[in-house]
Amino acid sequence: MRDYPLENRSAFSPDVAVGTGAAINLAPVPGGFVIHVLGDAKSDEAALKQVLAKIAPELGADVRKSAPNQWFWVGDAAVYSDRLTELQAGLVNQFALADQTHGRVRMRLSGASSRTVLAKGTMVDLSADLFAIGQSAMTQIGHIGAMITRIEDDSFELIVLRSFAASLWDELHHMAAEFR
Amino acid sequence: MSSLVKCPHCGLRPREEFTIRGEVATPRPSAGADEATWFDHVYLRDNPRGEHREYWHHSSGCRRWLVLTRNTLTHETSDVVDASTLKTEGAQ
Repeated sequence: MRDYPLENRSAFSPDVAVGTGAAINLAPVPGGFVIHVLGDAKSDEAALKQVLAKIAPELGADVRKSAPNQWFWVGDAAVYSDRLTELQAGLVNQFALADQTHGRVRMRLSGASSRTVLAKGTMVDLSADLFAIGQSAMTQIGHIGAMITRIEDDSFELIVLRSFAASLWDELHHMAAEFR
Repeated sequence: MSSLVKCPHCGLRPREEFTIRGEVATPRPSAGADEATWFDHVYLRDNPRGEHREYWHHSSGCRRWLVLTRNTLTHETSDVVDASTLKTEGAQ
Protein backbone atom coordinates (compact mmCIF):
# COMPACT_ATOMS: atom_id res chain seq x y z
CA MET A 1 0.00 0.00 0.00
CA ARG A 2 1.30 3.42 -0.86
CA ASP A 3 0.01 6.27 1.28
CA TYR A 4 1.81 8.91 -0.75
CA PRO A 5 1.89 7.75 -4.36
CA LEU A 6 4.41 9.64 -6.42
CA GLU A 7 3.05 11.80 -9.14
CA ASN A 8 4.55 10.93 -12.51
CA ARG A 9 5.33 14.27 -14.03
CA SER A 10 7.66 14.91 -16.96
CA ALA A 11 11.03 16.33 -15.98
CA PHE A 12 10.80 18.64 -19.00
CA SER A 13 8.66 21.72 -19.30
CA PRO A 14 6.04 21.39 -22.04
CA ASP A 15 7.64 24.19 -24.08
CA VAL A 16 11.15 22.72 -24.18
CA ALA A 17 12.93 23.80 -27.37
CA VAL A 18 13.34 20.91 -29.78
CA GLY A 19 15.63 21.18 -32.77
CA THR A 20 14.25 20.65 -36.25
CA GLY A 21 17.45 20.25 -38.24
CA ALA A 22 18.16 17.13 -40.27
CA ALA A 23 21.65 16.64 -38.87
CA ILE A 24 20.85 16.44 -35.19
CA ASN A 25 17.81 16.64 -32.92
CA LEU A 26 17.38 16.12 -29.21
CA ALA A 27 13.88 15.69 -27.86
CA PRO A 28 12.34 14.54 -24.57
CA VAL A 29 10.06 11.51 -24.62
CA PRO A 30 7.14 12.69 -22.52
CA GLY A 31 4.82 10.37 -20.62
CA GLY A 32 5.05 6.61 -20.84
CA PHE A 33 6.55 4.27 -18.28
CA VAL A 34 9.87 2.75 -17.29
CA ILE A 35 9.60 -0.36 -15.14
CA HIS A 36 12.62 -2.23 -13.82
CA VAL A 37 12.09 -5.98 -14.17
CA LEU A 38 14.16 -8.26 -11.95
CA GLY A 39 14.20 -11.93 -12.82
CA ASP A 40 15.56 -14.89 -10.90
CA ALA A 41 18.77 -16.62 -11.97
CA LYS A 42 16.98 -18.82 -14.48
CA SER A 43 14.83 -16.18 -16.13
CA ASP A 44 15.26 -15.33 -19.78
CA GLU A 45 14.13 -12.58 -22.09
CA ALA A 46 11.96 -14.71 -24.36
CA ALA A 47 9.92 -15.98 -21.40
CA LEU A 48 9.58 -12.44 -20.05
CA LYS A 49 8.33 -11.07 -23.39
CA GLN A 50 5.86 -13.89 -23.66
CA VAL A 51 4.39 -13.35 -20.21
CA LEU A 52 4.24 -9.55 -20.71
CA ALA A 53 2.44 -9.95 -24.02
CA LYS A 54 -0.09 -12.15 -22.24
CA ILE A 55 -0.79 -9.98 -19.18
CA ALA A 56 -0.45 -6.55 -20.81
CA PRO A 57 -0.81 -6.71 -24.59
CA GLU A 58 -1.75 -3.00 -24.67
CA LEU A 59 1.61 -1.94 -23.16
CA GLY A 60 3.86 -3.70 -25.65
CA ALA A 61 6.81 -5.83 -24.63
CA ASP A 62 9.69 -3.45 -25.27
CA VAL A 63 12.25 -4.79 -22.78
CA ARG A 64 15.84 -3.57 -22.72
CA LYS A 65 18.43 -5.66 -20.99
CA SER A 66 20.33 -3.73 -18.30
CA ALA A 67 22.17 -6.61 -16.60
CA PRO A 68 21.95 -10.40 -16.37
CA ASN A 69 18.32 -11.19 -15.47
CA GLN A 70 17.39 -7.51 -15.35
CA TRP A 71 15.56 -5.38 -17.86
CA PHE A 72 13.90 -2.02 -18.31
CA TRP A 73 10.38 -2.45 -19.61
CA VAL A 74 9.55 0.72 -21.52
CA GLY A 75 6.39 1.96 -23.20
CA ASP A 76 4.46 5.07 -24.16
CA ALA A 77 1.20 4.44 -22.30
CA ALA A 78 0.59 5.71 -18.78
CA VAL A 79 0.70 3.02 -16.07
CA TYR A 80 -0.85 3.96 -12.73
CA SER A 81 -0.09 2.25 -9.44
CA ASP A 82 -3.30 0.16 -9.43
CA ARG A 83 -2.42 -1.20 -12.85
CA LEU A 84 1.11 -1.94 -11.66
CA THR A 85 -0.25 -3.98 -8.75
CA GLU A 86 -2.40 -5.89 -11.23
CA LEU A 87 0.59 -6.54 -13.48
CA GLN A 88 2.72 -7.80 -10.62
CA ALA A 89 -0.09 -10.13 -9.57
CA GLY A 90 -0.33 -11.46 -13.11
CA LEU A 91 3.38 -12.20 -13.35
CA VAL A 92 4.85 -15.52 -12.42
CA ASN A 93 7.03 -15.53 -9.30
CA GLN A 94 10.09 -15.53 -11.51
CA PHE A 95 9.85 -11.78 -12.15
CA ALA A 96 9.47 -8.74 -9.89
CA LEU A 97 8.60 -5.21 -11.00
CA ALA A 98 9.90 -1.92 -9.64
CA ASP A 99 8.34 1.22 -11.09
CA GLN A 100 11.04 3.67 -12.23
CA THR A 101 8.82 6.03 -14.21
CA HIS A 102 9.30 8.83 -11.69
CA GLY A 103 13.06 8.26 -11.50
CA ARG A 104 14.27 7.66 -15.04
CA VAL A 105 13.90 10.04 -17.94
CA ARG A 106 13.79 9.17 -21.61
CA MET A 107 15.14 11.38 -24.37
CA ARG A 108 15.75 10.80 -28.03
CA LEU A 109 18.76 11.84 -30.07
CA SER A 110 18.21 11.57 -33.80
CA GLY A 111 19.57 12.78 -37.10
CA ALA A 112 22.39 11.86 -39.45
CA SER A 113 25.06 12.90 -36.92
CA SER A 114 23.53 11.25 -33.86
CA ARG A 115 26.04 8.40 -33.80
CA THR A 116 28.99 10.76 -34.12
CA VAL A 117 27.65 12.85 -31.24
CA LEU A 118 27.20 9.83 -28.97
CA ALA A 119 30.66 8.55 -29.88
CA LYS A 120 32.08 11.62 -28.18
CA GLY A 121 30.66 10.44 -24.88
CA THR A 122 30.57 6.66 -24.88
CA MET A 123 33.05 3.96 -25.83
CA VAL A 124 30.39 1.44 -26.82
CA ASP A 125 30.75 0.70 -30.52
CA LEU A 126 27.52 1.96 -32.08
CA SER A 127 28.21 0.88 -35.66
CA ALA A 128 25.15 -0.75 -37.20
CA ASP A 129 26.65 -4.23 -37.54
CA LEU A 130 27.52 -4.42 -33.83
CA PHE A 131 24.67 -2.39 -32.38
CA ALA A 132 21.52 -3.23 -34.32
CA ILE A 133 18.11 -1.60 -34.08
CA GLY A 134 16.49 -2.60 -30.78
CA GLN A 135 19.79 -3.30 -29.06
CA SER A 136 20.62 -1.59 -25.75
CA ALA A 137 23.70 -0.92 -23.68
CA MET A 138 24.01 0.32 -20.14
CA THR A 139 27.03 2.61 -20.18
CA GLN A 140 28.32 6.11 -19.48
CA ILE A 141 27.96 9.23 -21.58
CA GLY A 142 30.79 11.36 -20.29
CA HIS A 143 30.54 10.60 -16.59
CA ILE A 144 26.79 10.14 -16.54
CA GLY A 145 25.39 6.63 -16.42
CA ALA A 146 22.83 6.10 -19.16
CA MET A 147 21.21 3.39 -21.21
CA ILE A 148 21.50 3.75 -24.97
CA THR A 149 19.03 1.98 -27.26
CA ARG A 150 19.08 2.11 -31.03
CA ILE A 151 15.56 2.93 -32.22
CA GLU A 152 16.29 3.48 -35.90
CA ASP A 153 19.38 3.66 -38.08
CA ASP A 154 20.16 7.17 -36.90
CA SER A 155 17.97 7.53 -33.85
CA PHE A 156 18.86 6.59 -30.28
CA GLU A 157 16.84 6.63 -27.10
CA LEU A 158 18.62 7.43 -23.85
CA ILE A 159 17.40 6.55 -20.38
CA VAL A 160 19.03 8.51 -17.59
CA LEU A 161 18.36 9.01 -13.88
CA ARG A 162 16.07 12.00 -13.47
CA SER A 163 18.57 13.87 -11.30
CA PHE A 164 21.11 13.70 -14.13
CA ALA A 165 18.70 14.51 -16.96
CA ALA A 166 19.47 18.24 -17.10
CA SER A 167 23.25 17.61 -17.05
CA LEU A 168 23.01 15.07 -19.84
CA TRP A 169 20.70 17.33 -21.83
CA ASP A 170 23.20 20.22 -21.57
CA GLU A 171 26.13 17.97 -22.33
CA LEU A 172 24.46 16.57 -25.45
CA HIS A 173 23.75 20.10 -26.64
CA HIS A 174 27.44 20.93 -26.32
CA MET A 175 28.43 17.72 -28.07
CA ALA A 176 25.97 18.42 -30.90
CA ALA A 177 26.82 22.10 -31.32
CA GLU A 178 29.07 21.58 -34.34
CA PHE A 179 26.26 19.93 -36.31
CA ARG A 180 23.72 22.67 -35.79
CA MET B 1 43.10 5.64 -25.28
CA SER B 2 41.79 3.96 -22.21
CA SER B 3 42.23 0.27 -21.54
CA LEU B 4 39.35 -1.97 -22.46
CA VAL B 5 38.01 -4.72 -20.24
CA LYS B 6 35.93 -7.55 -21.62
CA CYS B 7 32.93 -7.79 -19.31
CA PRO B 8 31.37 -11.26 -19.66
CA HIS B 9 27.92 -9.62 -19.75
CA CYS B 10 28.47 -6.36 -21.66
CA GLY B 11 31.44 -6.98 -23.95
CA LEU B 12 34.38 -4.60 -24.36
CA ARG B 13 34.08 -1.59 -22.08
CA PRO B 14 36.47 1.15 -20.98
CA ARG B 15 38.21 0.89 -17.62
CA GLU B 16 36.40 4.06 -16.47
CA GLU B 17 33.14 2.12 -16.18
CA PHE B 18 34.58 -0.10 -13.46
CA THR B 19 35.35 0.28 -9.77
CA ILE B 20 38.32 -1.74 -8.59
CA ARG B 21 38.06 -3.43 -5.22
CA GLY B 22 41.44 -5.16 -4.99
CA GLU B 23 42.83 -8.63 -4.84
CA VAL B 24 40.72 -11.72 -4.39
CA ALA B 25 41.73 -12.61 -0.86
CA THR B 26 42.45 -16.13 0.26
CA PRO B 27 39.51 -17.86 1.95
CA ARG B 28 38.58 -16.45 5.34
CA PRO B 29 40.48 -18.19 8.17
CA SER B 30 38.51 -20.10 10.77
CA ALA B 31 37.29 -18.06 13.75
CA GLY B 32 39.75 -19.78 16.06
CA ALA B 33 42.81 -19.21 13.88
CA ASP B 34 45.77 -17.54 15.59
CA GLU B 35 46.40 -13.82 15.48
CA ALA B 36 49.17 -13.97 12.89
CA THR B 37 46.87 -15.78 10.42
CA TRP B 38 44.14 -13.18 10.91
CA PHE B 39 46.59 -10.30 10.67
CA ASP B 40 47.84 -11.69 7.38
CA HIS B 41 44.30 -12.13 6.04
CA VAL B 42 43.06 -8.67 7.04
CA TYR B 43 46.10 -6.44 6.50
CA LEU B 44 48.77 -8.02 4.34
CA ARG B 45 48.46 -7.91 0.57
CA ASP B 46 50.68 -9.55 -2.00
CA ASN B 47 52.18 -7.39 -4.69
CA PRO B 48 52.85 -9.99 -7.32
CA ARG B 49 54.80 -9.50 -10.50
CA GLY B 50 52.68 -11.21 -13.12
CA GLU B 51 49.22 -12.72 -12.88
CA HIS B 52 46.93 -11.28 -10.22
CA ARG B 53 43.26 -11.89 -9.49
CA GLU B 54 41.20 -8.84 -8.59
CA TYR B 55 37.58 -7.95 -7.84
CA TRP B 56 36.19 -5.40 -10.27
CA HIS B 57 32.69 -3.96 -10.13
CA HIS B 58 31.07 -2.96 -13.41
CA SER B 59 29.48 0.01 -11.67
CA SER B 60 28.43 1.90 -14.80
CA GLY B 61 27.29 -1.11 -16.78
CA CYS B 62 25.63 -4.29 -15.57
CA ARG B 63 26.57 -3.59 -11.93
CA ARG B 64 27.89 -7.14 -11.47
CA TRP B 65 30.98 -8.05 -9.47
CA LEU B 66 33.63 -9.61 -11.68
CA VAL B 67 36.87 -11.43 -11.05
CA LEU B 68 39.56 -10.27 -13.39
CA THR B 69 42.88 -11.98 -13.96
CA ARG B 70 45.34 -9.20 -14.74
CA ASN B 71 49.03 -9.34 -15.47
CA THR B 72 50.59 -6.58 -13.36
CA LEU B 73 53.51 -6.39 -15.75
CA THR B 74 51.74 -6.06 -19.08
CA HIS B 75 48.23 -5.04 -17.89
CA GLU B 76 46.84 -7.80 -20.08
CA THR B 77 43.58 -9.19 -18.73
CA SER B 78 43.56 -12.87 -19.57
CA ASP B 79 40.28 -13.88 -17.95
CA VAL B 80 37.20 -12.05 -16.72
CA VAL B 81 34.39 -13.98 -15.06
CA ASP B 82 31.33 -13.17 -12.99
CA ALA B 83 32.20 -13.28 -9.28
CA SER B 84 29.32 -15.68 -8.62
CA THR B 85 31.42 -18.38 -10.28
CA LEU B 86 33.74 -18.25 -7.25
CA LYS B 87 31.02 -19.93 -5.22
CA THR B 88 31.14 -23.02 -7.41
CA GLU B 89 34.92 -22.85 -7.36
CA GLY B 90 34.92 -22.87 -3.54
CA ALA B 91 32.58 -25.85 -3.46
CA GLN B 92 35.07 -28.03 -5.30
